[in-house]
Amino acid sequence: MTEDYTFRGLPMASVLPGTTLLVSGPSHAGTREVAYSMLAGAEDEGVVVVTTNRRASRVARNFEAASMRLDPARSAIVSCVGQDDRDADVDARLAEVTGPGDLTGIGMRYSKLVEELHRDGVERVRTSVVSVSTLLSFSDVQTVSRFVHTLVGRVGSIDGLGVLLIDPDAVDERVLSNVAQFCDARVDVRERDDAPEMRVRGLPGQSREWTAVELYG
Amino acid sequence: MTVLCVDPDPDERAATVAALEAAGLPVRAVDSVSAARDALDGDGNGDVVDCLVTEHDHPDGTGLDLIAHARETAPDIACVLYTDRDPAAIDTVTLGDTVAEYLQKGEGSHDRLVELVEFSVATRSQTAYPLPDDEDARLAALDRFVADPDELDATFARLTEIAAATFDIDAAAVGLVDAHHERFLGCYGIDVDRMDREDTVCTYAILEEGVTVVEDLHEDPRFADNEAIDGVDIRFYAGVPVTAPDGSKIASFCLYDFAPRSLSTDDRALLELFAAEAGDQLALRGRLREQETPAVDGRDRNDGDPTEGEG
Repeated sequence: MTEDYTFRGLPMASVLPGTTLLVSGPSHAGTREVAYSMLAGAEDEGVVVVTTNRRASRVARNFEAASMRLDPARSAIVSCVGQDDRDADVDARLAEVTGPGDLTGIGMRYSKLVEELHRDGVERVRTSVVSVSTLLSFSDVQTVSRFVHTLVGRVGSIDGLGVLLIDPDAVDERVLSNVAQFCDARVDVRERDDAPEMRVRGLPGQSREWTAVELYG
Repeated sequence: MTVLCVDPDPDERAATVAALEAAGLPVRAVDSVSAARDALDGDGNGDVVDCLVTEHDHPDGTGLDLIAHARETAPDIACVLYTDRDPAAIDTVTLGDTVAEYLQKGEGSHDRLVELVEFSVATRSQTAYPLPDDEDARLAALDRFVADPDELDATFARLTEIAAATFDIDAAAVGLVDAHHERFLGCYGIDVDRMDREDTVCTYAILEEGVTVVEDLHEDPRFADNEAIDGVDIRFYAGVPVTAPDGSKIASFCLYDFAPRSLSTDDRALLELFAAEAGDQLALRGRLREQETPAVDGRDRNDGDPTEGEG
């Protein structure tokens, strides 16, 4: 049996393999940084990031900021920025999709990368989509819902960890609640005194109280 | 439950079918997109398809075209593109909203395919809507308490007519939410038989406690682009789950209007009473039927004697 996924430097308890978390918070509150911190795991864990609107090189900088090292042996990026990202110089396996509206293409490339990592012996994989808000601005709610459901299913079937980022200021409340229902729990992020705070809702054994986050400490 | 396996190469098709059958999965195999479309459309030669496993390259079309067709006719089914082709060599841009699982053929891929099919079918992970946590029990309750929907139609028709008059609203119905469709009973002021589950508001209403109100469906991004809802011209929706005696939400008592409007707090409470009444009707009829029909296992259904031993 696979061990729980733990979170280095974040005020939250470990979660069971197969769990997907929806990380919700405004972009200025450090939400993206919290999401990236959740991807930091043990050395032998793999990571696949779907970046919808930022280049792979910028994802690499986010990883560096979170004290994580990309490594082609265990890291992969699905870039939806288009062919501009083809020659990106990053230490990760890279797959490009024409744009964030091609959810079929994103899903297929993600599935292929995850299979490759497994085949190469990486059994534990953390998956992130940054961000679902962008997907929602390119496709209808029904299509994004099917994409999220299928992705959450894949994360469950490989005993992985899913971290989906969403900006509540950019998405209708009813749509956010709908996306949240595909996930196992919600991590809310907000800003207090120029620093992020977070709380976890929907999972037993987690603090539901707002707790300050010391990013990259 | 059937897996539809589509592959033009006889050897590869046979190997995939053998792997799926070895895992105990019932498989129907066809060699072309057109035959697969017929099977998906219900050509009478087999069970309903729950999962589609297709190669991408066919003489008469692509696997992705076929999956797009499946999303039209049976949108909930799990679709897996199982192919030699790399994703980068597949044109997904024009079918970017199709969404399917992907697995590349290769060494050991049959085992992964079996895992993927079993998981996708068991968890129904490709629906465009969230499933209730108790979905399996809910469907079992629906089977048990709604053995004969036609019998309920007249009963519900009286209730919906009274509801429409009470709330001064255009239309009302009781929607039974089954695995893939919603069936509408007792329709008053609206004529709709059934819709795909992913297209109905009740699909979301049965996930909630109490009343769900959408004052203007055109203003709600979940339904604004929904052609099925547009097709029946409704703008306002209010619904309350109808629960079976085991507590599962098997249907929804719904009010519709052809113009946006609101529903007062008092009216919301009243609508909950209508849903409770519909639930009681379901429960009573279910019990009556069970009393009239001898239990199949030879034991009395009311036999709950805890001292009785197993077997």
